[in-house]
Amino acid sequence: MARNFRVYLKKRGSRRTGSPALGIIGEAVFFSLLFLAGCVGLVCVFAWFIIPEWRANHEFIRHACRVLDKRVAEIPDGDSTTYRPEIQIEYEVGGETFHIWTYDICGTYSSGRVDKEAVLENFQVGKVYPCWYDPANPSKAVLVRGYSWLLWLFLILPISFVLIGGGGLIHAVLHLGKSAERSAATTKGPLQLELFEREGRKKTELPKVPTGADMTNSPGTKLAYRLPIGTAPAWVLFSIAMASLILTIVWAVFMVVVIGGHLKGNVDWTASFFAFVLTTVVLGMFVLLIRQLLITAGIGPTNLEISDHPLYPGSTYRVFLSQSGKQTMKRLSVLLMCEEVARYRQGTDTRTEKRKVCEENVFEKENLEIGGSAPYETDCDVVIPHAAMHSFKSDHNEVNWSLVVFGDVDRRSNYKRTFPVIVHPKPTGN
Amino acid sequence: MTEPRAFIRVDGTDRAFSPGETLSGEYRFESLSPESVKAIEVSILWCTQGKGDEDMEVHDFRRLSPDDSDWVDFEHPKYFNTTLPSSPLSYDGVILKIRWYVRVRVILKRGKDIVVETPFTLGDVPTAKSVEL
Repeated sequence: MARNFRVYLKKRGSRRTGSPALGIIGEAVFFSLLFLAGCVGLVCVFAWFIIPEWRANHEFIRHACRVLDKRVAEIPDGDSTTYRPEIQIEYEVGGETFHIWTYDICGTYSSGRVDKEAVLENFQVGKVYPCWYDPANPSKAVLVRGYSWLLWLFLILPISFVLIGGGGLIHAVLHLGKSAERSAATTKGPLQLELFEREGRKKTELPKVPTGADMTNSPGTKLAYRLPIGTAPAWVLFSIAMASLILTIVWAVFMVVVIGGHLKGNVDWTASFFAFVLTTVVLGMFVLLIRQLLITAGIGPTNLEISDHPLYPGSTYRVFLSQSGKQTMKRLSVLLMCEEVARYRQGTDTRTEKRKVCEENVFEKENLEIGGSAPYETDCDVVIPHAAMHSFKSDHNEVNWSLVVFGDVDRRSNYKRTFPVIVHPKPTGN
Repeated sequence: MTEPRAFIRVDGTDRAFSPGETLSGEYRFESLSPESVKAIEVSILWCTQGKGDEDMEVHDFRRLSPDDSDWVDFEHPKYFNTTLPSSPLSYDGVILKIRWYVRVRVILKRGKDIVVETPFTLGDVPTAKSVEL
């Protein structure tokens, strides 16, 4: 039994332990509960809000009533209290007189007493006002009609539960009792099932090779295409700045508490130790921020153009490099790089590991002076190795090719700018 | 009693293929009672191995059940063929490997499936080496 239904999943080399059947059953139970919760929520929202509102607007009969009294009803809930306006009315239907406290059909409470008192100001005790009563139950009546659109927002939660739960349940049911291969074939689409010896099927030309469409939509000034940068330095700076800001706020709050404790003579040494650690981290973040600021502001934009794209193993391509910004460089180089990327789950974390499998120097120049008026420009050839693996991207694994510009700037931080490229497999027949 | 077994034979001497080439072969069974079989699935698939979580995709798939007109004759080998795609090519990297297989799964009415697979290579990408120290 334990061998057939392993609860814990372990990865040992290429082999995995764990029960796929138990996984599918667990998935089905989880999504069923989610779907059920969504359905119950939907029924409640419809039964308590939507249907009564619709009936009040379409089926209730207009009548006249006399206001006898008014009040703000309240429900205390811990520190906060919620309110709703309530008006006591008197009306007669079919010879029977009704005395009820009412206002709208939903009877919902919300924060803010003043708003409710303002509502009550519109009704004078002893005066006659229009009201609408339920023909099916004349003891139920309202003084206002209309739709409270906020309540419709309540629908979002149960609907999302129904959609996620229903989708997950369909997915689990479709995979229940199916082999991994059949599930994978079904995921690709029903047209892909039973493909042997059938003609006229249209398949992806290069499965799992990224298209790289965004790499050919910007024409270059000297060569065919201007390559997009992998991660713009400005975005890196923004990310570090945001992280520094959040960390500084946390640090400031922590320091106020710790220093306050010290001033009152109530010293918490554990908190003081964490304050010291946090201060070190914040200082480190500031060093990183200043370094990135110098790279972004001090080093001008790097542009890379290429004569053709996508690239093919064994082929040679012309590369044009343009480096702006007034600076003295110890070294400027362009490298062709290939990196394997593997993502895997470890507990609840998703980890990424990268391994460089190709690094070839395409261009290198030492002791370089770039003037402020014109960028440094050069071109060179890049040869894709004859036996190169093509670019590859699946859900958890990738093979990525890129041209990387490295700059070793005098008296400043080094910088690295990555320009991804796509390498296709060698065309068939070559 | 002898355990039921399944065998796959891929045509060609070195089981190495180029993209677009036709892969063909046959599968057969031993000591397998036709009455005990619910279905037979034949897949040409690739999967990743290595550090990352496994990705798998089926290039070609066929499921045969006793009601099908071309149901397996258990006394004779059953032929299969498929045209191989242009990618992904077989790859023997440092933390990522891409392997191609012909896999035959016999789904029994009772008990665990019988699964046999034969690897083959697509393309001729040599083994990659880490360039990091």
